Amino acid sequence: MQQLIFGLANGSIYALMALAIGMVSSTTGIVNFAHASVVMMGAMVSWWMMVIYGLSYIPALFVAIAVSIVLNIVMYETCVKKLGDLQDNVGWIITLFGASIILDNIARMLFGTEPQAFPYLFGGKMVTFFGANIMLHELMMITIAVVIGVVYQTIIKKTRFGRAVRAVAFRPATSELMGIKSEKIILSCFAMAGAVAAIGGALIAPITFASYTMTYSIGLKGFAAAVLGGFGNTKGAFIGGFILGLIEAFISIFVPAGIKDSISFVIMIIVIIFLPEGIMSAKFFNRNLSAAEKV
Amino acid sequence: MPSFSTETCPLRKKYSLWFTILKLALLFICLAFPFMAGNYYLRFAIVLFIYIIVSIGYDISSGYCGMLTLSAAAIFGAGAYASAITVTTLKMPFLVGMLVAMVVTGLISFLISLPAYKVKGNYLALISLGILEIVQRILNDWTSLTHGAAGFFLPPWSIFGMNLTDYAKYYVIFFFLILIMLFEWGLIKSHWGRDFIAVKNDEIAASGVGINNRKFKVIALLISSMIIGVAGSLYASYSEFISPDTFGFYLTIFILLTVVIGGTGTLSGPAIGVTIVMIIPEFFNASPDLKQIVFGGLLIILTQVMPGGITGRIKERFRAIDDNRHIENLGDRPPISFEKYRVNADGPENILEVKNLTRRFGGLTAVGNLDLEVKRGTVHSLIGPNGAGKTTTVNLITGIDKPSEGSVIFNGEDITGMEPFDLVKRGIARTYQHVRLFKDLRVIDNVAMGGRIYYTYGLAGAIFHSRKKRKEEKEAYLEAYDCLKLIGLESKSNFDPGSLSTGQQKLVEIARALCEKPKLMVLDEPCAGLNETEVEELSEIIKKIRDVGITVLMIEHHMSIVMGISDYITVIDYGKKIAEGTTAEVSVDPVVRKAYLGEEVTAC
Repeated sequence: MQQLIFGLANGSIYALMALAIGMVSSTTGIVNFAHASVVMMGAMVSWWMMVIYGLSYIPALFVAIAVSIVLNIVMYETCVKKLGDLQDNVGWIITLFGASIILDNIARMLFGTEPQAFPYLFGGKMVTFFGANIMLHELMMITIAVVIGVVYQTIIKKTRFGRAVRAVAFRPATSELMGIKSEKIILSCFAMAGAVAAIGGALIAPITFASYTMTYSIGLKGFAAAVLGGFGNTKGAFIGGFILGLIEAFISIFVPAGIKDSISFVIMIIVIIFLPEGIMSAKFFNRNLSAAEKV
Repeated sequence: MPSFSTETCPLRKKYSLWFTILKLALLFICLAFPFMAGNYYLRFAIVLFIYIIVSIGYDISSGYCGMLTLSAAAIFGAGAYASAITVTTLKMPFLVGMLVAMVVTGLISFLISLPAYKVKGNYLALISLGILEIVQRILNDWTSLTHGAAGFFLPPWSIFGMNLTDYAKYYVIFFFLILIMLFEWGLIKSHWGRDFIAVKNDEIAASGVGINNRKFKVIALLISSMIIGVAGSLYASYSEFISPDTFGFYLTIFILLTVVIGGTGTLSGPAIGVTIVMIIPEFFNASPDLKQIVFGGLLIILTQVMPGGITGRIKERFRAIDDNRHIENLGDRPPISFEKYRVNADGPENILEVKNLTRRFGGLTAVGNLDLEVKRGTVHSLIGPNGAGKTTTVNLITGIDKPSEGSVIFNGEDITGMEPFDLVKRGIARTYQHVRLFKDLRVIDNVAMGGRIYYTYGLAGAIFHSRKKRKEEKEAYLEAYDCLKLIGLESKSNFDPGSLSTGQQKLVEIARALCEKPKLMVLDEPCAGLNETEVEELSEIIKKIRDVGITVLMIEHHMSIVMGISDYITVIDYGKKIAEGTTAEVSVDPVVRKAYLGEEVTAC
């Protein structure tokens, strides 16, 4: 039971990262390799606000969200926008890694190299549940992640803005002709991804401790979850994240910690090889695209 | 843009003298360096050389072949550890260690390239990032083999039982560097190098000139990994101590940066890049985090401001450096005519027979039960309204798309479902609706790519510049030049295809197709985007092509050219054939008129 909740809690963070990666990738087709660094920045800023400036949890989180949104927008403006056709020019892989290094090292300069303790929600209170000790924080992680997922799904499916996002994701040039400002939509997706990143960062920080390397391997697992669920697939991101979290939690009973970490990468590579569109869309996705469009 | 053409040969000779002087000076400096420099700079130079080897290796897959991977550090580390374990634990000589390193890194490259043929760039980046992490874990956690995070000590470096002094180490590593550079030079200046660039630029067009994309990607990654493996084993033996930390994410970024700065897909780029990236931090004693921030900033800025890197800039300024020596020494060429490409008319009367061809995209039937017969030596036009399924039909015939049902028989052989690169060898050449030239190759290279299926020299021949290679390369370029002459563009040989007008680009595509010496040439809307004069020229060229026995299957909307040069016309609409016959028959067919004009025609 403990492992189950722990797995789901970790999985919810992977899911949040996969969701944010998916937001960006659905409208631009790129994978935000700097996302993990933004998550880390979100966590570090909220830690700073709480410890140095003495803000309470919620205001600190809001500051962190604001900072992450600004970071993501700046990132889009400096690293992605000028590259032109992102399918043709893969320069964004290089520039986003550049951004990631810059963020990591700025954090290192500002906050130091020591991992810092980060407060739990509800002061780390435990509840006993079917004979297992479960932290309320972990339950909250799962709840918050699911709420964010549902809200995002509703926005995408029900609102005018959501329809615009889907239009841009499908055909950016055509959407532009139909009066949708593609760039504005892309920017807001980056901004939303930033907000989600900050929340995810604040939620995971108590478990990993806040430091500039805190998301180093979690970030990669976020990609793994995104791959598992299929890029840009919101539901898939959640399924991918939770599956990954659970597999890790249960496998860690049998194998040492180092190997546990590589499991998710092995899974990711296998999924890419056999189901590059993610497990959600095995077989029937993308088969029907006309090859004439390619030529 | 500076004007340059085949007449610029004196210019190239002037530069080539300077380049020879520069190369000799560099060689001399490198040879004399140990006697001038202190111990610190000697070590610095040794590490510099090792990283140049890494960068060269990385550039072959990422720069030339366009596969942006992030696992260079992992491969370097795997090579280093493989050789260290062989030398220390198994007590084998150094060269055996190097071989083991190459085998291990080669195997890792297969792991990366396994899915590379079917996924796009970002997945490749993710896979290689995953492999970087997995290798890190193995190095850290498999302590019985790698001694874990504490690091791995090697005995002093000896070759053939002789312990090496610092000077000797310098020269040994310099020797390997020269070896690798010569290897790269031979490889890149052969059709292999151009093939890699073709795969990077346009996979469909690459496939269309006979390149098996998947094979070439695997080969590029294999070669690149093995070179990095060599560097890894040199590094392990030289430094006598290795630890997993060295081969982490930051090393990958370092290697990426060297290629970005120096210029991707160039011969001298890696050397320049590594030198700059290693020397910059020497000048200002930066703290590690500041150094990384500068590196990150360089990655962001250079990728956008200077995509070709430093060497790319130099090449842009001095185009003439790159001129082709084969077309300089033309001598007296006999006059060229289309006769050279005449195909003899043996085989069945119908060169192409399409039976019951069907292609469904989901619920939509783009092509349904289409039958088509193309007679040998004719110009056969395929016409129909937009969305009628013409391009899909052509894609099914040329192997870019696979039919749901039906068969395609070419020259008496069933070719249904074959890959484009196999069809080229059987004599099907094609052009594309939207021009698909290799943008990083010059016009003459593009045309010469058409003749690549006739190269017979192998990898060894390429590296050692065998007589066969030199002869075949010269022949290929003279032939490409002749081809360009046929379409009247020989003066543009050394231009970038992007600097030509659309009409000229279409002509270059036809020249490329002609260079494949085809039996059947498939032209997909050759007149789109051409002006009236160009259309006239083009129809003359198509007629000449037909007159030497090459069958032409053409999709075209331009009715005057269709009616002017076609022998037969097939009209399709909604994926079905609605009329077929000679030009005169089709032009009066009422069904065709209905499809084109939308209603029953009562008067004309």
